[in-house]
Amino acid sequence: MNGDENAARALPDKAGLGDVILNWCQANSLWPLFFGLSCCFVEQATVFTGLYDIARFGAEVLRGSPRQADLLVVSGTVFKKAAPMVKRVYEQMPRPKWVISMGSCANTGGMYDVYSVVQGVDQIIPVDVYVTGCPPRPEALLHGLITLQDMIRQKSRPLRPVLNLDGGHLGGRDDILVPGVTKDRDTRGPGMAGIPARGTSVTPPVFAGSRSDEMWTPPAPKLSFTPAHDALREALAARFGEPSAWHETVVDMPTVTVPAQRLVEVLDFLKHEAPIRFERLEDITAVDETARKVRPEHDFTAIYTLTSLSSVEYLRVRVPVGADLELPSATPVWPSANWYECEIWDLFGIRFTGHPGLRRLIMPEEWQGHPLRKGDPQRATEMAPYLAEDARREQPEDAVRLLEKAHAAPPARREFVLNIGPHHYSTHGLVRFILELYGEEIVDMTTDIGYHHRGVEKIAEHQSWHQFIPYTDRLDYLSGAANNLTYLLAVEKLCGVAVPQRAQCVRVMLAEFYRLSNHLLWLGTMVQDLGMITPVFHTFREREQILDIMEAITGARLHPAWLRIGGLAMDLPDGWDKLVRDFVTIFPKRVAGYRRMITGNPIVRARVKGIGRLSLENAVDHGISGANLRACGSTRDLRKVAPYSGYEQYDFDIPTRDGGDCLARFEVRFEEMVQSNRIIAQCLEWMPSGRFMADDYRYCIPDKRDTLRDIESLIHHFINATRGPKVPAGEAYAATEAPRGEQGFYVVSDGGNMPYRLHMRSPGYASVQALPLMTIGHTIADFIAIMGSLDYIAPDLDR
Amino acid sequence: MPTSPEYMSTGFNAWDPSVFSLIVFALLAAGLVTALLTLSVVLTRRRGEGEKGRPYECGVIPSGSARPSYPAPFWLVAVFFLLFDVEAVYVVSWAVSFSRMTWAAWGQITFFIGVLLLGLFWVWRKGGLEWGMTRKR
Repeated sequence: MNGDENAARALPDKAGLGDVILNWCQANSLWPLFFGLSCCFVEQATVFTGLYDIARFGAEVLRGSPRQADLLVVSGTVFKKAAPMVKRVYEQMPRPKWVISMGSCANTGGMYDVYSVVQGVDQIIPVDVYVTGCPPRPEALLHGLITLQDMIRQKSRPLRPVLNLDGGHLGGRDDILVPGVTKDRDTRGPGMAGIPARGTSVTPPVFAGSRSDEMWTPPAPKLSFTPAHDALREALAARFGEPSAWHETVVDMPTVTVPAQRLVEVLDFLKHEAPIRFERLEDITAVDETARKVRPEHDFTAIYTLTSLSSVEYLRVRVPVGADLELPSATPVWPSANWYECEIWDLFGIRFTGHPGLRRLIMPEEWQGHPLRKGDPQRATEMAPYLAEDARREQPEDAVRLLEKAHAAPPARREFVLNIGPHHYSTHGLVRFILELYGEEIVDMTTDIGYHHRGVEKIAEHQSWHQFIPYTDRLDYLSGAANNLTYLLAVEKLCGVAVPQRAQCVRVMLAEFYRLSNHLLWLGTMVQDLGMITPVFHTFREREQILDIMEAITGARLHPAWLRIGGLAMDLPDGWDKLVRDFVTIFPKRVAGYRRMITGNPIVRARVKGIGRLSLENAVDHGISGANLRACGSTRDLRKVAPYSGYEQYDFDIPTRDGGDCLARFEVRFEEMVQSNRIIAQCLEWMPSGRFMADDYRYCIPDKRDTLRDIESLIHHFINATRGPKVPAGEAYAATEAPRGEQGFYVVSDGGNMPYRLHMRSPGYASVQALPLMTIGHTIADFIAIMGSLDYIAPDLDR
Repeated sequence: MPTSPEYMSTGFNAWDPSVFSLIVFALLAAGLVTALLTLSVVLTRRRGEGEKGRPYECGVIPSGSARPSYPAPFWLVAVFFLLFDVEAVYVVSWAVSFSRMTWAAWGQITFFIGVLLLGLFWVWRKGGLEWGMTRKR
């Protein structure tokens, strides 16, 4: 607690009756702002539901606009791109105003000490109460509210400022903290000010070489090529001759190196004419090669991952980037290449010729440098602190300019331009949609993302392979352990680790539970966006039940970080089966209830039917996956077409629809919930006995019981838990059917104890990029329905 | 003594209790509104806080004109609704007084409704009732 030193601590002994009444009124009618930054925000929204009921603590229903609020709860990570918006929202609140800083990210930058993050919101706006945790439990926020109420009740003589008299204090702080003076910004923690930081005259600039280099690991497993691969190889050689070099030792998928001049030709051939048609561009990313242990001649490599939907194959195309840092654009072949190329320009500084509008997509416009280059600073603490003046200066770009940038040729005349987001009730995170309206009609739109860019790809380069697991949880903060799974599948592929049956079954069960948790939250918030308030209270009931089970098993609600390379952190606890059985028996009835309540409602049906239509062809071209793709008529579900973690052993159906509209997306997810429940019920019945962790301890953190019995396990435990395992050099890509669609992790190891490069393919990126296809020609109200039906989330979009 | 109509005998009296209480109520309401407005003017501290004077647009600086361009179908549909809602008043009164009506009165009101009906058809034909989006480009 740290109110104004004189006012907050003094008991209201000088206070008159009017002061006491005023304090009582203010303390018991707090109006918090619905302010979504990241994971903490979900817990903030949870306190609003029936189980926690924020109104009991004097805080009424969450408000949508700063004009109506007197309490700002900054919940989650504040980014340099979003900071001006945070400051503006605070300044637009009426007085008195209070601020609760919720979660370690908002308090200090938290675990995300990376270039894009502000080291604590108290550097740009004053904070009254800090709520700690990552994320704090809903109860912790309620406790923060009670603490704030106590502070308000102790305000001395608040009536005086109201009556325009001298003295007294109405509430809310006015001061912001100054790094180095009132705020400690040292990453080593407080009290280290006297000890020189690394890199000064006293200590060497870098740690001595990692001892991972002295360790031996077997080489990464080798993919065996099939006859189809050979046919593809021959077709490529026949068409393009020598320039397309086929890699002989690959871990996960056929890989071919193509020179930049022939890239577009090759991509076009692969999409339209090759013996295996690669209809979809899965992902484009780049690798900065300048810090490799074995360094190639070129500085950057661009990586194109292609997917064949007809024959379930992947292909990787590697393109060395020349010294001019220029590549031809792939947008003529796949329109979805647009954002991927913007991102590579933004983060690596590689230019694409022929791109329709290359712009900084993720970093703010004023950003100097390209942060994912190996030479750019990693930690925010290596850079100058981000202060209130910076927030004033570095304003988000003008909406009209952003619209102009998104198109090669500007239209003759701009109509009414409207921003929806970054801070909006229904944007599901910090995203900014810029709509150009003609009357009520959307005639043009563009999207500005990056308000939630946590730089996890850069963070991964400085964490051991194990240490990165908790970050994956937070990438898609509603899907918890489902994210761990994708990352671990990629790492396990590279290491050739076989995961025991029991661990696989638990992984499947957790992933399906988090799918349910995600879909329940999506269902509640989507219909709330449409104006139907009741279901959100009900869906949070089952969601809390799921989170209770997750907590009993993993010890955490949103972010368990409970999967490990080769298995799980622990075995299932006693009594887990009763909790799960209780859930799977009641859940189908609850879903049926939602069906009656929501799809039986003619107004909801009218709001979603025929709205935001997307054809299957467009969906594939734009890389859309998951429920959004299945709503367009595709049956592609990775759990069926490319089973992982033993999904082939479960009996479940893949719901699909042909409409491609909001209603179809809605119904597909609805039915997916029933199917997930079926899978969980099968896990419950089938759960194999045996180990929960692979018994080859080279890469795994050993079972604690083994470490107490034999020295080999103890040594492996020590090494793998401290500097981490040495992962064989190579690259691997793994994708899973995450709740929002196909989520992929591309990991590159150069044979060290940390990823050399890590990239995430997020399903939301493709869906949000395709928004103009679905929204142009609809009204603003339809836009809200379309956004809701897409089910994206900002950290998954921006990473 | 000639009998006066019933309404004359009760008469209109300004001091009748029902009217008197209405006046008192109106005065009280006006007084309350005045008191609240005065108090808020006297008590509110008007500080020059620049950011608060700016329109709220989801946390970013608004740009472009705040005047929406001309076709607002929502507004148009609302106007048409009001227009033809008034027609309903005449249609209903025409229907309830049908038996007591002279032919001349019937002709006049029918002509009036007919004109309005033509207007409705015209609006209909011009697409004024199309609550859909029109393609502009």
